[in-house]
This record gives sequence, structure tokens and C-alpha cells, in this order.
Amino acid sequence: MSAPTVVVSPTDNVPGVSWRSLAWVTWRRHRATLLGTVAVLAVIGIYLVVTGERMRSAWQTVDACTPQRSEPCRFAWEGFQSHYGNSGILAVVFIFAPLLIGAFAGAPLIGRELETGTFRYAWTQGVGRTRWAVAMLVSGAVGVAVVSGAFGALVSWHDNPLWRADVTPRLQASEFPATGVAVVGWSLAAYAVGVLAGLLWKRVVAALATTVVAMFLLAFATSRVRMHYLTPLRTSRLEHPVGSQPIDQWWEKNGVHVSTTQLNAALQAAGIQQIQLGNGKTTVHAKPGTAQVDPITYLLHHGYTQWTSYQPASRYWTFQWIELGWLAALAVILLIASVVVIRRRDA
Amino acid sequence: MSVVETRGLAKRYGRTIALQDCDLTLPEGQLAALVGPNGAGKSTLLNLVVGLSRPSSGEVVVLDGIPAGSLAALDGIAYVAQDMPLYRNLSAADMIHLTRNLNGTFDDAYAQRRLDDLGIEPRRRSGRLSGGQRAQLALTLALARHPRLLVLDEPTASLDPLARHDFMATVMAAMAEDGVSVVLSSHVLSELERVADYLVLISHGRVRIDGVVEDLLGTHRLLTGPTGGERDPGWHAVQETAAGAQTTLLARTVAPVPTAQGWESRPVTLEELTMAYLREEKPSTPWTLVEVAS
Repeated sequence: MSAPTVVVSPTDNVPGVSWRSLAWVTWRRHRATLLGTVAVLAVIGIYLVVTGERMRSAWQTVDACTPQRSEPCRFAWEGFQSHYGNSGILAVVFIFAPLLIGAFAGAPLIGRELETGTFRYAWTQGVGRTRWAVAMLVSGAVGVAVVSGAFGALVSWHDNPLWRADVTPRLQASEFPATGVAVVGWSLAAYAVGVLAGLLWKRVVAALATTVVAMFLLAFATSRVRMHYLTPLRTSRLEHPVGSQPIDQWWEKNGVHVSTTQLNAALQAAGIQQIQLGNGKTTVHAKPGTAQVDPITYLLHHGYTQWTSYQPASRYWTFQWIELGWLAALAVILLIASVVVIRRRDA
Repeated sequence: MSVVETRGLAKRYGRTIALQDCDLTLPEGQLAALVGPNGAGKSTLLNLVVGLSRPSSGEVVVLDGIPAGSLAALDGIAYVAQDMPLYRNLSAADMIHLTRNLNGTFDDAYAQRRLDDLGIEPRRRSGRLSGGQRAQLALTLALARHPRLLVLDEPTASLDPLARHDFMATVMAAMAEDGVSVVLSSHVLSELERVADYLVLISHGRVRIDGVVEDLLGTHRLLTGPTGGERDPGWHAVQETAAGAQTTLLARTVAPVPTAQGWESRPVTLEELTMAYLREEKPSTPWTLVEVAS
């Protein structure tokens, strides 16, 4: 037997397959998933439009109130805040929806092929598995970006009165990742984690669970570091600027940090009720028999300064792009890793 | 001209050896049958041929020297995997459209005609087709690509006899009309008797025999003679069954008529030959009966 000789270079004389054809394949394969997702989001969307419209007209009434500083206007604002301020279940939906959009799109994309064995069909077609994989992953990413971007735009529109009324800062952990462009980053990251998990687990359900847990942990970790994308500003004013997100609050005297224990000792010595420093809040605990002097006023008059570190509302878009940037970079790295795994996968 | 050529091909999964020392040359324009028990390494070999997996050592080239798994190889080979994986929620027409979009070459008219002939409703979901129709649809998708080589992994294992016959008829028709070469694996020996041109027998990850079916049948005889009697030195007994005074041998022999006294000879069937080799207690070293010019 003669030794085999290579006579054809692999890429020669092979009729090409266009990216358009491949995009159609992705669309046809995942049309049902996409339409299902859009249907669910449409229901949420209708709800948001209805409540958003109601909130808008309520805010217009509050906003039109003159003079702004009057007691009736303040009463109207408080009414608005108590009615719309705590979005409760809605906040949960806002946080999870982008992650779920990505996870449900990503996990089955390749995972289902491996689970059902259809990869044996897909990877033996003339186009080759690399181009097939790139087409699938890119089309999927575009779909996820469009759907989550639309969702984020709707949430931004819905919550706009809350931002303007300074009821909820835009930088708040329940608002920030569901709005602007960061929402796209979160969906894409969840999508990429889902793709890779599906590829490694070869089980859609296991991949979904992994993705949701991993993304929840990442979202939680991010909420703790987000406010330090840029060095926080600080102010000694008692009222922080409109729309800003307070981070920390502490007292100083002559430029030296003063602990709560020290403050209370000072107040006690002066015969004034004690204060308790909470997260961004100064609460006064009324004790019977103590002097009727406001402890804060006392401290301010005796050389103490209260500092608040915060991020101003004006940094919202800067932070949005920072968050989109690193999440998108993470997604791209994971998707490239997925293509490499697909290329190397041995049936 | 060869459609598949392997040299020292081996595949290991961790410590398990799925295939080893595999040297094969499968001729063009013929139907080569891979025969062996379950887990023998047939699917492993086919996966290597279609590029779904890569060799642990050795090499496999297809279609006159193209590396398996390369784009040119994928373009020239159509593969129908075991259990006919199709997207169950897609219709037959969608599967055709999908396959057309995944290949540079695709004969839409052929695919549509076959669908008509088979009486498959184009809008019916592939998951709702009968086993025979699913197999025929998968085969149609493969043949519409006009491949040079068609690889079928246990294509008829789950089919009833009628569907099995129809399936093989389609394969034979494509061979006659299109000149496509076929490699198929099977453990149903009876159906191969009339269709296989070339036989590769695999067990325990090794090729036991391979050769042109006619030659294999011509060089093996079923011999019956006295137990302990004189034997022809040219016989190589593959299987020996002693029943009292009479012994039956399935032997490899060049001479068609026995020269030793008291022995009677008759031709073997492919099934007898295969069974004998699979039961052979002390396997002979793998040998190739006829070397195929490549």
C-alpha cells in the first residue's frame, strides 16, 4: 500500500457558505425561543407602560406644585414617594430579567445540540464547525443585545420620574444594572457564561442553573465595587446632592476620624441624647429626660464635621460605559473560549 | 483511488482503548461494511473518518489524501449518525432549508423530489415522523449534498424490516446513479450479504480481517472431516467444532477442493465467516487479503 499523499489543500475548491445563510440557520433554530422570550417581555412591557404612564402623570402633578418648598407640595412629594418609591417585586424583575434573558439564550444554544446529539449533524455539514459556531454565537449575541437593550430602555423610561423626583437614585443597585447600556452588558455576560456552561455540562438544565447562580454572585459582588469605579466625592453638607448615591458617612474633628463611641461620650458629657450612625443615616434616639438639644446641631457647633462620600448622578453614564465595557470584554473572552472548546471537542 | 485510508490509527479515551493498530484502505465506488459487536470500535472509526473526533495516534485521510475533518473533507463527506439526529421541532422542509444553508453544494430539486416520493408531508415536524421516514429524511439530506462518500453509522438498527429494505434500496440507488462510495457500520449481518462489496471486521478495537467480500468468501471453506484426521497444511482453521468423530472447520484456504482424505468442503456465507472470526479464540494477527491499489 502506498503512503497517503495530500493532494488538496483544505480550503481550495470548497464552495462557500455565506454568513447570511448561517444567520438564517441560527434564526430558524432559535426562532421559538426568541419569540417566547419576546412574548414574556411584552407582557412585562405592557405592565411597565401602564404603570409608567400612571407614575408619569402623578409626577407631573407633584412637579407642577408651587411653591416647591411649601408644606402642601412637600406632602404631595411624600405621597408620590410612598406610593411609587418602593418598587418591591418590580425591582427583583429588573435585576433578574437581563440575567435570565442571557442565560436562557446562551445555555441551550450549544448545550442542546450536545444533549440531543444533533451536533453530529451540525458539525459534519460542509460549512465546518468553526464557522457554524461563530455564526451561532454572534447571531445569538446580537439577539440578546437587542432584546435586553429594549428592555433596559423601557425600564429607564419607566423609572425616569423616580430619578427626577430624587426618590430613587439612578446609581442605586436595583436601578443601575437594569437600565442604560449596562443592562446589555449583563445580558451578554450571562449569555456567554450560559454558552460555555452548556458546552461543558452538555446538559441544558445544569447549564442554566450554573449560569443563574454564577451571574447572581457576580451581580452581588459588582454591586459592592460599582461605587468605586471612580473615587467618590465627599461633602460636609448634611443633605447630599440631588440624585446622588451616598456611600459612606462619618464624623471628623480637626481632620481626625471620630468613632461613634467617642461621639456618644461627648454627647453624654454634655447631657444630650445619643446618636447612632447607620448606613448613610443619622438616627436620633429620643430618651426621656435628656436635653432638648438636637445632637447633630450640638456636634456641628462644637467643631465636629459630618462627611458623606457619594457618587454624583452626573457620573451615571460614565459608570454605565465602564460596566458595559468590562462585562462585554468578559463576554467576548468567554465566547472566544467557547469557539476554541467547540473546535477541540472530540465526539 | 481510496475513500478512506488509515495508518496506525488509534483512539484512546483516557485509559480505554477504543481503536488501535488500524490500517485500512477502503476502495472508491463500493459499499464497505464495518462489522462487529457493540462497543467494538465501529462508531469510533466512523467518528474519526467524518472528523467528529481526532486520532490519538496515527492518521486518517479521506477522498484520496485529504485530512479527515478538514473543510474539503467535510464538503465531500455526508454522515448520517446513529439514531438519525434531526431537530425534532423543525419540519422536513425546514431541515432541507437548513441543510442547504449549511452546505456549499445542495441539490434542492433532488431533496424535494425524494420527499414527494417518500410521501413525507413537508410541514410535518421531524420529531413526528415514523422511524423509517426519519431515517429516509436524514438520508435524503445527506444524499442531496452529492457527497463523494456517504458514511452511515448503524443506519438500520432501529428500523423494521420493510423500512430497512427501503433504506438500503435508496443507498444502492444513489451508488448506481451518483457513484457515491458508502461506508456503513452494522451488526445486522444478514442484510450485508447482498450489498457489501468490502468487509471490515472489528472487535475489541482491532481490525480482525478486511477485504473484498468475494475474495473473502472465495478463500474460506467450511470443511467437514474425521476428528484427529490428516489435515491440509494450507488450511488455517479460524473456527473448529468437534462433534464426536466429526469435526467442522471454518478455514482459510487457497485450494477450493480439499486435498486431505476424508474431508468435504462447501462455500461459507458471509455470516458464517463473520461469526467464525468473532468467535476465534486465539486471534490471528490482522491480515489483509487483497491489497487495494490506491
